[in-house]
Amino acid sequence: MNWNEFQRIFNDCELDGNKIIIKSNLRGVIGFVTANYTYNMLKEIIANDKGEGRTELIYHMYSTDDEEDLFISITVDGEVESIADIFESAKADENEIYDLFGVKFTGNENLKRLYMPEDWKGFPLRKDYVQDDTRLVWNDGNNEA
Amino acid sequence: MTATMKLKLNLGPQHPSTHGVLRLILELEGEKILSCEPDIGYLHRGMEKMAEKMSYIQYLPTVDRIDYLAGCFYSELLCRIVEQAFEVELPDKVRAIRVMLLELNRISSHLLWVGAFLMDLGAISPYFYAFREREMILRYFEKLTGQRMMYNYFVFGGVRKDIAYLEDVEEIISVLPDKINDYEKIITENPIFLKRTSGKGVLELDTAVNHAITGVNLRASGLNYDLRNIDYLYKGFDFGAVVLDGKDCWARYKARIMEMRESVNIIHQALEYLKSAPALEQKLINPLNLKLPEGDYYAEIEAPRGLASCFVRSLGDDRPYRLKWRTGSYYSVNLLRKLLVGEYLNDAIAIAGSLDIILPEVDK
Repeated sequence: MNWNEFQRIFNDCELDGNKIIIKSNLRGVIGFVTANYTYNMLKEIIANDKGEGRTELIYHMYSTDDEEDLFISITVDGEVESIADIFESAKADENEIYDLFGVKFTGNENLKRLYMPEDWKGFPLRKDYVQDDTRLVWNDGNNEA
Repeated sequence: MTATMKLKLNLGPQHPSTHGVLRLILELEGEKILSCEPDIGYLHRGMEKMAEKMSYIQYLPTVDRIDYLAGCFYSELLCRIVEQAFEVELPDKVRAIRVMLLELNRISSHLLWVGAFLMDLGAISPYFYAFREREMILRYFEKLTGQRMMYNYFVFGGVRKDIAYLEDVEEIISVLPDKINDYEKIITENPIFLKRTSGKGVLELDTAVNHAITGVNLRASGLNYDLRNIDYLYKGFDFGAVVLDGKDCWARYKARIMEMRESVNIIHQALEYLKSAPALEQKLINPLNLKLPEGDYYAEIEAPRGLASCFVRSLGDDRPYRLKWRTGSYYSVNLLRKLLVGEYLNDAIAIAGSLDIILPEVDK
């Protein structure tokens, strides 16, 4: 991965260890690194809650030819473009993040509740999530906690 | 009735081959599968949410349950995160103990898979043979750790107590190669087994990479990607790569059989070292009031079902701000969407079984 070349094309970005932090144009960046370098696997997408409805997404890419990892980080306001058409595995990751963080991926039509019941309110891994669903046994009103 | 009538079939929500609860919603035309939609979440325990409310030492015993057939690998990952944060270098003996137990765990996991997979295909006997050998390994773990499945034996900076009962391990690895030969005699060239598996569920390499498939399933499609080659824990161990080019269910079966032999080889080396090694000297990290310095931590390992990884973001508290697991099976389940299309219903069981999916790992 040639950082200088990358920075020349996408100027709004910075390097933190082996993590590239970008502000926008996710699809452009992912398309660029897959087309110009050998990153052909998306190992996972890691989501982190940043508070105030913002979520950081870290795309962990891997090159099976050069055996190299690359992390691309972007912070979004609850909505971001899907890359499921570039990496099939993203479909699963995006669905999981939708279920637990409530981030909407435009272009991914498969988003649905995965682990949580279909009528569940809220997204459990957000920091502002309140556990008050009456279906949880410890929320049945009989105990104070 | 018209010939083109479509049928929706619920496969599950239960099936023995999946070692857990999985529901596949299949759309059929005759016996041909038109589409497949996996429905998961029946075993969701909120492992990631739990981590945010527990201190690291409280969380450690629970991570074995992410994959209860190969619990060691997940304890190892969490220990690795903490060791990374405090820059602890493991002594050689601890490395050898961990490698030996990880590989024993890998064999027991593959053995269960061999038995369950063959039972799915209608062969009952291999199940009992595989469980007979698995029992030897579980007995050893029970003797050593007090537990048959959730060992909780690795701790931050080392292992809970010194290794013991090495003669049991010696017996296991002296018996296993012959037993694996026996399996191969009754399974590998069996004409019924060949008809059910060879040429079925062909997973092309670029499809596998695009679906983030790792581990044995990827290596049976022809790519030598094994994290053990670069893992510091396995430094100094000599073992070969198991890479096959068959891409079908049969290749995935054969790769697991070969991998068990390779694991026996690794255990052999670890055992030779441990037999003459001095008493255990390790510097454990004090788990009380353990606070990880602020920052992101990442560790990955070659688990029996593909690459497993753990990501921790710490804000300097005694608990993680965010902890994420990556498990191999999660991607294998989603691969079924693609792999089952165009296959016949009776092959669906063979194909889903050959990927070695375990549901607690998928649902976390």
